Amino acid sequence: MPPQPARLAQRLSVALLMIPAAASAGDRLDLQGLIDVRAVYADGTTSFLDGGSGRLRFDPDHQGIRIGRVMLAARYRLDDTWTFNAVGGSYGDHDKHAVDLTEAWFEARPFPSGAVRYKVRIGAFQLPASLENRSVGWTTPYSLSSSAINTWLGEEIRIIGTEFEAKWLGASRGYYGEVAFTAGIYGWNDPAGVLIASRGWASGDRQSTLFGTLGRPPQAFYREMDGRPGYYAGLSWRHHERFELRALRYDNRADPAATNSDDIAWRTQFTSLGARWEPDDRWTLIVQSLHGRTYVGPDGNPDYQFAQRFRSWFVLGSAQFGAERLTLRRDHFSTRQYAGFYGPPADDQGNALAFAYLHDFDRHWQAVGEWQQVHSRFPPRIYFGVPESINETQIQLSVRYRFNLQR
Amino acid sequence: MHKAAPRHALIGLLWSAFFACGHVSPALAAGVQINLIAADGRPVADAVATATPIGAVPKRPRERKSTAMDQLNKAFVPQVLVVESGTSVDFPNNDSVSHQVYSFSPARKFQLSLYKGELHAPVQFDTPGLVVLGCNIHDSMVGYIYVADTPYFGKTDRAGILRLDQVPRGRYRIQVWSPSIADEPGSMSKDLEVEESGESAVSFRLRKPLRSVPQPRPHPEGWDAY
Repeated sequence: MPPQPARLAQRLSVALLMIPAAASAGDRLDLQGLIDVRAVYADGTTSFLDGGSGRLRFDPDHQGIRIGRVMLAARYRLDDTWTFNAVGGSYGDHDKHAVDLTEAWFEARPFPSGAVRYKVRIGAFQLPASLENRSVGWTTPYSLSSSAINTWLGEEIRIIGTEFEAKWLGASRGYYGEVAFTAGIYGWNDPAGVLIASRGWASGDRQSTLFGTLGRPPQAFYREMDGRPGYYAGLSWRHHERFELRALRYDNRADPAATNSDDIAWRTQFTSLGARWEPDDRWTLIVQSLHGRTYVGPDGNPDYQFAQRFRSWFVLGSAQFGAERLTLRRDHFSTRQYAGFYGPPADDQGNALAFAYLHDFDRHWQAVGEWQQVHSRFPPRIYFGVPESINETQIQLSVRYRFNLQR
Repeated sequence: MHKAAPRHALIGLLWSAFFACGHVSPALAAGVQINLIAADGRPVADAVATATPIGAVPKRPRERKSTAMDQLNKAFVPQVLVVESGTSVDFPNNDSVSHQVYSFSPARKFQLSLYKGELHAPVQFDTPGLVVLGCNIHDSMVGYIYVADTPYFGKTDRAGILRLDQVPRGRYRIQVWSPSIADEPGSMSKDLEVEESGESAVSFRLRKPLRSVPQPRPHPEGWDAY
């Protein structure tokens, strides 16, 4: 017998009454999305993403109307302490999977019972080294592309493991700021270093995905070959929400003699130092430097090694005028090979300049114009039939729709 | 001279007995003015000022009071709330995002699990002292509940002045506090004899420059996710 209409209405009203009750328990699910479509002009050589030696995301064969990124970032609160976070989407290129994850992790953040608050992350997440890529999905709020340093961190470095953070909360002692110690242990990062060694530095916003590949021939990064976990450790200091300093040391502790059928393990170590200063609500200044080395071949036998040092820094200045934001970024980068010469040295030397103009129509719609120029000198370009020293320019006009749903 | 002294003492004793009965006549209460001046001579506004009876001075009968500490734009509103001990405080969240409010201050430890709106029962503050509030999701949110052991309290106005009315005759400890005061807390306290009528005044001049207390910044949604 079908339920009486009155009974049905009663059930429905009870169900409806329960919705606000559930909602008042907090936004358990927080979804943030981004749809970014661009008109692109690029005059450089074929991008490394399509098998060339260009340093930008797009090139003359891949311009016009392009998908910048379609992204969905979810945070689900399991209880007061634990959340599950995931970021996924598409870059609209020929990645192995059209839709893939860039991050997925569990996070525990218990209520502090004293001036030190502990936090643990388990899963796959970005290295906490960037002061530029601070927005959801590891995007930058200052421009479309990221600096060479943060482009590279997004390409090759992903922490698949666990992170521990102890943060001293100054407010309880009358100091408006925090000091945090962070350390991580991870695996599945043995190929990290192959891209910077074979290509040099780049500047863009194409992160690698967890199950996909980057470039041509396709390169995967998240592989474990030697059973040796890597680590990172860092210190950060935030003062008055106006100044933040981050220092971090990373070492993937890969066995440089390890290989599998597709990849070789690169021992990669680097130190990152960065500061962000926001003297007022208008101005932002970010500086970051990163230097390190990567090599393959058995330890203690330089004759059978291929080894490189790499170094980069950037300065970013940004100003917010109401709905408008202007950003100027200057990058310098280099790599220097110091072992394993079988051809022209894989020494990369270059500078980049980016200028971005962002306009917020409302909290959903945003338009971004970005002009980028990269000058780089890289002797191995002779294998591509391209002069070793080139200038590449890319202009992107992006329309972005952002949304936030809470349930 | 010497003969007069016992007579005064007797009057004082009678007064004390009168007050001890809990009978406070407004006619026998006076005004207290508290001035707070920064080291550079400028008035300090929005500072907590309290007059706490010392010894046998009876307090005004305690009323069951309740008040609220709101949350808006990832900030506590007001940033500083002053209440008499025994007051219940509601923590409504009128923000667009959820918060997890906590305190681990000795004067009152509590935790309000993730919420929006008015999910939680009010929190009672019985122990005098400073309670520092935080949000476990938004580390930059800092708020204060100053729990005073007296019904005579308030905050200084733009001229750096707080006037307390109807303060019964007696001896009081006058204290001022603000998160921006950098002077030693011990130096922010003075004793005052309040007469039966008229107005007594206490002035505090800070020795150290004011600390800058960061104002909440309206970051776009999703900033500082990393």
